[in-house]
Amino acid sequence: MDAEIVVNTDIKQKDSRHALVIAIEHCAFFDQNGDWEPKSSNTASEVLSHGPAISFIKAIQRVNHKLMEKNPNETFLFDVILICNNQIPENQSKIVTSAKHYGLEISRFCFCNDASFTNSMLSNNVKLFLSTNRDDIVKTQERGLPAALLCKQVAQEAVDQLKFLFIGDSLGIPEDLKGEMFNVNQPHSLQITQASLKELVAVIGQMRSKFGQDDSPLRTCLVTLWSPRDVCVRALKTFRDWGMEVEEAYCLAGTPPSAILAQIQPHVLCGDGLYHMRDVAALS
Amino acid sequence: MSSNMCETVANQAEVPDEKGDSDKGLYDNFKTTKKPRPPKPRDAVTIAVSSRTLFNMAQENRIYEQEGLEKYVSYQQEHEEEPLTPGAAFPFVKALMTVNARLRDLYPESDEMFDIVLVTNNHAQVGVRLINSINYYDLTIERFCMTGGKSPIGYLTAYMTDLYLSKDSKKVQEAIEAGIAAATMFTLERENDLSDSQLRVAFDGDAVLFSDESEIIMKTQGLDSFFEHEKQFANKPLAQGPLKCFLEALGKLQRKFYSKDERMDCPIRTYLVTARSAASAGARVLKTMRSWGLEVDEALFLAGAPKGPLLQKIRPHIFFDDQMFHIEGAQKLGTIAAHVPYGIGQKYHRGIALQPSPPGH
Repeated sequence: MDAEIVVNTDIKQKDSRHALVIAIEHCAFFDQNGDWEPKSSNTASEVLSHGPAISFIKAIQRVNHKLMEKNPNETFLFDVILICNNQIPENQSKIVTSAKHYGLEISRFCFCNDASFTNSMLSNNVKLFLSTNRDDIVKTQERGLPAALLCKQVAQEAVDQLKFLFIGDSLGIPEDLKGEMFNVNQPHSLQITQASLKELVAVIGQMRSKFGQDDSPLRTCLVTLWSPRDVCVRALKTFRDWGMEVEEAYCLAGTPPSAILAQIQPHVLCGDGLYHMRDVAALS
Repeated sequence: MSSNMCETVANQAEVPDEKGDSDKGLYDNFKTTKKPRPPKPRDAVTIAVSSRTLFNMAQENRIYEQEGLEKYVSYQQEHEEEPLTPGAAFPFVKALMTVNARLRDLYPESDEMFDIVLVTNNHAQVGVRLINSINYYDLTIERFCMTGGKSPIGYLTAYMTDLYLSKDSKKVQEAIEAGIAAATMFTLERENDLSDSQLRVAFDGDAVLFSDESEIIMKTQGLDSFFEHEKQFANKPLAQGPLKCFLEALGKLQRKFYSKDERMDCPIRTYLVTARSAASAGARVLKTMRSWGLEVDEALFLAGAPKGPLLQKIRPHIFFDDQMFHIEGAQKLGTIAAHVPYGIGQKYHRGIALQPSPPGH
């Protein structure tokens, strides 16, 4: 089955050559992990009512809004698409109806399967795949595509700023030590994930630099979980070289992370192969 | 530094209730740096210092206030390679490191020691200069938290902070209200001739180690009522004050030296410096301490005499008091004094009740 694209006619389509396309997996629109089955009692409209993706999209919309305020003809905007693997046609239409009902700024719906997933991502010029399902994130990374975790917001009210948090432990390792440093169970993907991370950092950094220090609707943060302080600083400088000046930095050096991650409250958590850590998992 | 002191940092993350299955096999990054690994936060005495108490950033602060955040961050980035000069908490931090070195000698496998964390609402880009400065002075500060303008108070609990030092009295007050021992520091005025082999910490009594209950009587009903009250309740322990737990933490570390026969050479010394007089109001204080199982090495009852000259002799690395009058007196004679904004003392200045601020301030 080839991927099927449904365009959201309620939304003005963005210029896909210039936009920063983010694909959100459909499970991020619901509270529970795993396969979602709509109750027959759900009306079509109610289907997409919960989940971390909602507050994320609201924060995205705020960024786009501010960009358009500065320049009404801006084409470098966030463009959100919903990506959905293996859904039955009935549920597909429910998803589309619901998104329209809630006025979610999702410009396209991409219904595909495992085989057509990678192509769908590439043909839609997706810069980042977001999900609440850790296995799907890892699988996507293994295919060489940039993927990150969409985090549950702890506070009831949506946080105003769109917050990206990057785990920087792997970045700060000196080149010559990288080979012996990583777990043999990890695939060779370190090279790949770093290359895609660099691209992601560059493009988010570019977006961030459109705003000043005060009152930016977008915020970038760095955390190192196990590394000494010099590794954290090296990661900070690397990000700077790649085009992103993070505003917040946390060096945990082994401090149990869950309380700190809960304080930071990111929308998106980007890290290499670290999604199986229990503390990180608690965020999804 | 023997290699058995350096361990996999991945082990740090494996606290029994927060085990992650991908922790295994993560690199021994501390081993490669040959630095001792930082202690597990739940076993350590965690001291959080702000960037402005650790280093002198007066000049940089002026730029922030006069020219705004963007210019301030650029300035710091331009001067990234220039180390900052020491701030008020710097001698205290060095003294903590001295104690740690002695503890590691006696207890190489233990995590019961000081852990110093930099907690600042500074921008992370300024952090590069801060860490460069930490490297320059070879300070053992392995953990940091740079919130880029957001309040750092919520992070204090997350980092399991036992004491927080900042130049911002608002933040200090928030920390105290959140149940964390905290004190406001001021600019280091001059070079101090402090011990480099012994950490010395001095505490005021009322509204610092103890609650302000007796001080309320003193301020509202006068000295005579205060004496009567203290005599009447000599056997009733005072309630605890904001810094009681920190004294307790110091006591635990002191006992580690005592049990290795190092009492005479203990690198931690504590002092109680109170305006109370031993004869009339001192008993209650000592009985309270005893009921808590706490000790100080020296209890000094001044019976109202100024604290400055005595502190000058003691030369503590830090002196905690709730009343600015005593803080100023101590500072005039060169003592590093930290203000604890707690209790009724905040509503008075030099014995006179302050007028409440008009609304809107």
